[in-house]
Amino acid sequence: MSMTETSVTRPASLPAMSLTGLFSAHPLFLGASVALLLSMVPVLAAMVLDDRQFNGVNIWDKPFKFQVALSVYLLTLAFFERFVPFQTRQARWYRWHGLAVVGAVTLEMIWIAGAAANGMASHFNVTDPVLASVYGFMGFLAVLLTSATLVQGLAIRANRETGLSPVLHHSIWIGLVMTFVLTVPVAGTMSSQTGHLVGGNLSDAEGLALIGWARDGGDLRVAHFLATHAMHAIPVFGLMLAWFGRSRDRTSVTMFAALFAALVVFTLLQAMAGRPFLGWLG
Amino acid sequence: MTPDTVFPLANMAALAGWVALLASPWQPRMAQIVSGTVIPLGLALLYTAIVLAFWSSGEGGFDTLANVAALFKSPWLLLAGWVHYLAFDLFVGAWIARRARDERIPFLLVIPCLALTFLFGPAGFLAFSILRASFAAARPKTV
Repeated sequence: MSMTETSVTRPASLPAMSLTGLFSAHPLFLGASVALLLSMVPVLAAMVLDDRQFNGVNIWDKPFKFQVALSVYLLTLAFFERFVPFQTRQARWYRWHGLAVVGAVTLEMIWIAGAAANGMASHFNVTDPVLASVYGFMGFLAVLLTSATLVQGLAIRANRETGLSPVLHHSIWIGLVMTFVLTVPVAGTMSSQTGHLVGGNLSDAEGLALIGWARDGGDLRVAHFLATHAMHAIPVFGLMLAWFGRSRDRTSVTMFAALFAALVVFTLLQAMAGRPFLGWLG
Repeated sequence: MTPDTVFPLANMAALAGWVALLASPWQPRMAQIVSGTVIPLGLALLYTAIVLAFWSSGEGGFDTLANVAALFKSPWLLLAGWVHYLAFDLFVGAWIARRARDERIPFLLVIPCLALTFLFGPAGFLAFSILRASFAAARPKTV
């Protein structure tokens, strides 16, 4: 077997290189992700010192969760960036959009951590007109930062020279686009409620281990979580298809994506009906 | 954890940094890593955590002397102010040791500047700046 044949059968262009090299196609997103990762250290230190609670959990719980989530988000985008056509990556509008995304992430993070420092709510805080408009602006920033998946997904879709098998190419761009398409309406619905919990005792103290979802009532964060992780779940499904030799089976990817969307809608309706997701879990 | 339990720990960390600076003629790289990076960053982390956790519980502000005094009525914020001194004084101490070495200023003359920086921060910085300027003036110019 020749060298070329072996490289053709590999599912994706994943050259063996350094850890940061995996994400070097988008230095800005990689750098912002590392900055979020490092800024967890002072937040965790504050968590140790601070006894204040919000909604039954330590007040720094939420900033920490957002740091984890946004760090993973940007790192994933930096990883997929290699599949965006080179000309697109060089385009001025595209670079400005990336900068705006990082700006939106930064502002969201500053607001969430600042609210925690001051012992006040960040999301759902409409206690006075100023805070209500800040909350509205946060919504705009959230859509802006989520739009990175739409832009990247469509750019990857347009790329005919990714070197990916059909099933991976298909699952990556669909996963990215679905993150935007599902997250925006789910988060929009969520923000029109009065809080992320429906029914139950309206405290985060009794939630699922690690992730904190309510076990005694509806939790709108479940649908948001799943919606946003479409960018991971669908490509992983595509990767599995490729491993099992079904590298041309795009139909299965589309069907999985549809099922995944149905799951998101189901968890959203379930939460709005005040019922827990995985409430039986420890 | 209370401000009174954290205070001696912060002091010991800073003191270790100053001891490392005294050893800097023999261990310049080690001294710079310990006193110029690791310990100041550790103190900076402690300071930041205190401010994140307790700033909103304090009263006062930076605008008037009375407000600054009010800030320091909170033991945690008083500790933060103290850690601020410790961190930045040590950082300046490491800078002094580095500059003195680069400019070949005898370490025996640098020790009083380090001692002043340790005890009275800005006064040590001023003393070293005078020493540095004097050496620069006296040194024959290479054209």
